[in-house]
Amino acid sequence: MSKHAILTSEQHRELRVSTTRGADLGDAVMSSLIVPDEFRRVQNEYPILFHRNLERDSYTALALFGFENGENLFLDGDRWDARYRPLAVDIQPFLIGRPAIEGGEAQVHVDLDSPRIAPGGEGVRVFDEDGRPTPYLETIAEQLGALDAGWRGSDDFFAALTRYNLIEPLTVDVTLDNGSEHRLAGYHGIDEDRLQALDASELGDLHDAGHLMPIFMALASLSNLAKLIARKNAAVARG
Amino acid sequence: MSLDTWLNGRTGTVNQSTTRANNRPVSRIVIVGGGTAGWLAACRIAAAADPAAEHPIEVTLIASPDVATVGVGEGTWPTMRATLEKIGISEVEALLACDGSFKQGSRFIGWATGAEGDAYLHPFSPPVDADPVALVAAWQAKAAGCSFADAVTPQAGVAQRRLAPRQRSMPDYAGALNYGYHLDATKLAGLLARHATGRLGVRHLCDHVTGVERAEDDTVLAVHARSHGPIAGDFFLDCTGQAALLMADVPWIDRGGTLFNDRALAVQVSVAPDSPIAAQTDATAHRAGWIWDIGLPTRRGVGCVYSSGHMSDDEAAATLAAYLGVAEVPTARRLVFRSGHRERFWSGNCLAIGLSAGFLEPLEASAIVTVELSIDALLADWPSPATMPIQAKRFNELFRYRWDRIVEFLKLHYALSRRQEPYWRDHRAPETMPERLAELMALWTHRPPCSDDLPMVDEVFAAASYQYVLYGMTDAVTAPGQFRPQPAPKLAAVEQRARALSASLPTNRAYLDALRAAHGSPALEQQS
Repeated sequence: MSKHAILTSEQHRELRVSTTRGADLGDAVMSSLIVPDEFRRVQNEYPILFHRNLERDSYTALALFGFENGENLFLDGDRWDARYRPLAVDIQPFLIGRPAIEGGEAQVHVDLDSPRIAPGGEGVRVFDEDGRPTPYLETIAEQLGALDAGWRGSDDFFAALTRYNLIEPLTVDVTLDNGSEHRLAGYHGIDEDRLQALDASELGDLHDAGHLMPIFMALASLSNLAKLIARKNAAVARG
Repeated sequence: MSLDTWLNGRTGTVNQSTTRANNRPVSRIVIVGGGTAGWLAACRIAAAADPAAEHPIEVTLIASPDVATVGVGEGTWPTMRATLEKIGISEVEALLACDGSFKQGSRFIGWATGAEGDAYLHPFSPPVDADPVALVAAWQAKAAGCSFADAVTPQAGVAQRRLAPRQRSMPDYAGALNYGYHLDATKLAGLLARHATGRLGVRHLCDHVTGVERAEDDTVLAVHARSHGPIAGDFFLDCTGQAALLMADVPWIDRGGTLFNDRALAVQVSVAPDSPIAAQTDATAHRAGWIWDIGLPTRRGVGCVYSSGHMSDDEAAATLAAYLGVAEVPTARRLVFRSGHRERFWSGNCLAIGLSAGFLEPLEASAIVTVELSIDALLADWPSPATMPIQAKRFNELFRYRWDRIVEFLKLHYALSRRQEPYWRDHRAPETMPERLAELMALWTHRPPCSDDLPMVDEVFAAASYQYVLYGMTDAVTAPGQFRPQPAPKLAAVEQRARALSASLPTNRAYLDALRAAHGSPALEQQS
């Protein structure tokens, strides 16, 4: 169970956060939530898949790092071998909190049980000795803001995809160099045939709402699957 | 045994041996002296040598069991990082084995006026890259009260917070800021000795040198050791400290008329395990000298440097006691020295490295760096029998230049003072001032120090160092504005960088405690 607290300069004046990468810091994950606003940067590195949340009957987008739970093929010791990391990875151990009252302002929360809470005076300070936010926290606050706005746009995006029936189930079968076979099932992707069949006014609608670019980015991102498989083969070969 | 019998026993006849020696590359290196200088030289040469060479270089170091090393040089320059890396010692091992911490510069307290709040930092990181005139103008344009160092480098804020210059996750010897070390010099010599003999194949003879065997042309053929007899070599390094066993005949150039300090009283004070560790050497001026204060994880090294012509030993002890806030100083080591250096450092086939070459008062911790520079120069132009006189001449010219520049830079700290005690007034007397320094100081009353003032590629002290001292101690000069201004440096970026670094760097204490927790320390010291 996570211990979340509202971040304040009084309570967390001396708080330090580990910003290095590592499995022990929670980076050994096979995927991360992403928002359509960052698809363009995500598709440079990772395959983008959709995941259907049955309880809420909604979709979320994921960047894929590996083929099984706990496998992050971009993580190499203390190095994350990519030029971009999804916002939801970078903002840890922080999160956006909303007060119970309707319309209250978003707050920065911190997960005090996160392995990123640094013991022993190493790691990056969140507040300086006078209680002012450090450049690190300023960056985090910007990222949290972007993520918050992205979340709100995400529902619109998937509503539009659903409206135009552009989502189809996606199953990826992977055969590794050593002959072993793996299957990624339960994900969804863009239905390319339907996308091609949209007429100009439909495309215009999607474009006006800002959805067209992320749709094509998600489509293009699937070429990263081959690179991810290559990483997997290399990892298997290393043992 | 006479030299003749000994040489005959080895190679037949003396003549034959001489002929062969002339054709053979310099490969038998004999280092006399087992202090920091001797072991640094042994390690650097042995680490650079190719064991598969046709004439592999063999390094023999003779250290006397009768002679204690000086062992108070506790501050290094940033050059030590490259030196240790070339030798093949990891930074973790060096920090743990030498009880080391990080040094990011020196803070001079009470040097300008001695008034309350009179202090400035001379950091190791240079100012943000800019034309010197534009740099000084940008500093002056900042809010009053912002020191030069604070304005031009993020290191000032980092050092003031006692933060480490790096994070542990960075590669060895890399830093967010430039840094050297504070360390236990005796332990450094021990680490280097273990590394040299255990990993680099240096032959270590624990013996006392009793004599030097020279050929007619003064070439050193062998040194005689009490138990091992004659030890022959092609090239000899005199690292025997003030004794200068091989180089004592070379005239000494006294610099005491410019740099008066000739005594030091050194103590060690233990510190609480969780006490903060300073990021710089503190040098606090007193009425006839200054006090060094160097923080290591387990102790502080504190020493009173003074001029015996201006202060008695008892007064120095009282000054040190007052600084430490105690009634009486604990057991102190007394050091007597005279600032000066040899007329030549390389004579025949013998090179003086370390205190045998010279010594200047320790204000800028120039002793170890001079050793490093000497070894660099030796390795960069390895002696060859046929050209040795030319190489010696070039080395001597280079190092005479360097000693002169160090003397001038040290003198600058005194020459800029406005303190009124006799010692400080004497320091400003024109007859004590090197001519070149007086000229430069005249120039700097109307323009900042620039790289053309220090024209060598490898100046020991670059223009930046002069700027830090000059603008730490005096007001800036205002340009008359007759020329179009150069692009102004972005000092706001310095401020932003200082904020980011202050947030992301651990304190020295946190860094070194975590290092010990991660690696444990005693195991390394057991190696031999």
